[in-house]
Amino acid sequence: MIDKFVHIIRIYFAEAWLSYQGRFAITSPFGYIAGKLGFPFFLMLFFIFMGKYVGFSDPLYIVIGNILLIPAASGMGGVTLAIGEERQWGTLSYVLGSPAPRSPVFMGRAFYYIVDGFVTALLGFAIAAGLFGLDLSQVNILLLMICSLLIAVTSSGLGFLFGSISLVTRDGWMILNTFLSFLYILVGVNFPITSLPLILQKLSWGLPLTRGIMAARLVMEGEGWSAIRSLIAGEALIGLIYILIGYLFFMFLEKRSMQSGTLDAM
Amino acid sequence: MTSFRWGLIKQQMSVQFLVRTLNPFFLGLFVIQPAVFSAVGMLLSRAAGNSTPDLVYNVIGGGIMGMWSGLVFTSTYDILGDRRNGMLELIVGSPTSLNLIEAIRTLTNVLSGLFSLGLAFMAAILIFGYTFTGVNFWGVLISLVILLFSMWSIGVFLANFLAWSRLSGTFVDYLEMPIAFLCGFMYPIRVLPVWLQYISGAVPIRWALEAMNESLLGSFDLNYLVVHWLMAIGLSNVFIVLTSWMQAKVHDSIRLSGELSSI
Repeated sequence: MIDKFVHIIRIYFAEAWLSYQGRFAITSPFGYIAGKLGFPFFLMLFFIFMGKYVGFSDPLYIVIGNILLIPAASGMGGVTLAIGEERQWGTLSYVLGSPAPRSPVFMGRAFYYIVDGFVTALLGFAIAAGLFGLDLSQVNILLLMICSLLIAVTSSGLGFLFGSISLVTRDGWMILNTFLSFLYILVGVNFPITSLPLILQKLSWGLPLTRGIMAARLVMEGEGWSAIRSLIAGEALIGLIYILIGYLFFMFLEKRSMQSGTLDAM
Repeated sequence: MTSFRWGLIKQQMSVQFLVRTLNPFFLGLFVIQPAVFSAVGMLLSRAAGNSTPDLVYNVIGGGIMGMWSGLVFTSTYDILGDRRNGMLELIVGSPTSLNLIEAIRTLTNVLSGLFSLGLAFMAAILIFGYTFTGVNFWGVLISLVILLFSMWSIGVFLANFLAWSRLSGTFVDYLEMPIAFLCGFMYPIRVLPVWLQYISGAVPIRWALEAMNESLLGSFDLNYLVVHWLMAIGLSNVFIVLTSWMQAKVHDSIRLSGELSSI
């Protein structure tokens, strides 16, 4: 039992290290910084001026929301890439043909993306404090870190789901990107979800990130653990459900592909 | 000679439509992304307490956003794709200049972007009841043609930029949002700080877009429009001259060193 557990942990970190070598170790500092912060920064500015024009008087609301979306995008993208790129390079059959358990293999690949997104978000908060006068003096930094990390982890459940979708279509990455753009509307990144039509508000509560972002906003307002614990618990539960759904969907597709022998033919 | 050029244009446009434009990725860029940006604008407006969205900036601005995103990615992916598939050397070595091929491809990309703008206008009319009452129709039309020309000039510049330097591919993609933000695709330029307005003055799209938006809002101020049109045309020509100059320099260098792949 212990041997099996150690084996799973070893696979998890071996895959995490491989994933790091495959993606992050070859990235130049300019490409890395531009990719991580460049696009989100200008997108955030775009939304801020869009808000300023229509009379939305709280630019920091947009700043905080967009920074919190960074770990989410990183967590989702990490798992989707882990599965989708195996397929793209034609190595998925070998991975699935091996006796290694699937969960640590693919979740391990997401490890550095989650850590990377988490660190980038913290860096984003520090930059925002300098550029936009974001007041961090009353903020419980440990709670803010917990919220950011939780958002990155829970969003990886969606990544599992989109990664599984990339097994049945070559446009998995495109579908993920489309979904990511809907997050600008649905999870309270740029405006409170109460501004959404009622049906979209209900959808919003069923997604990871919504509660995590709300909890992080409360922390930014100086609230403590007691004010956010129910949101944190809800976020963790929703994230767990998505991870489970994503994993079961992946196992279903794997089983179906084993029976039909058509994994790379789609 | 003339018929050869028409044949070239027809063939390049046909290939470009098939290879680059008609696929799910660009459907996302031309349709879904602008719709999402428009929705964000409208919901921000709602959160700010406005009862109706701003149709010119929130809805039609979304179409402009779609045109630009499509142009940036199609134009830059053209050369990336050629390079990856080992076609770039063959194209550069062919009697037809790379500049001409890129010019035709970019024209196709810009015209494809009209689909996004058309959808935005349809959404404004059919969903939000936009009536075009008081619109300076000729102002809009002329501004749109100049806007297409401005986008084309930047598209050709970006497309060739990737042929000149492999490294440029690492940051060209990141131009999408900075240009959208600087040129005020979904808000008037006046909301930007003054120093940013000066910077945005170097981008021809900004001038053509301002003229189009003012015409949509009912401005018949001919002086304002002509100044903006001339600025857009002038700056577009600067980009075209710059592209030709750079291309001549790089092609000379390639012929001397025989090393296109190493650039």
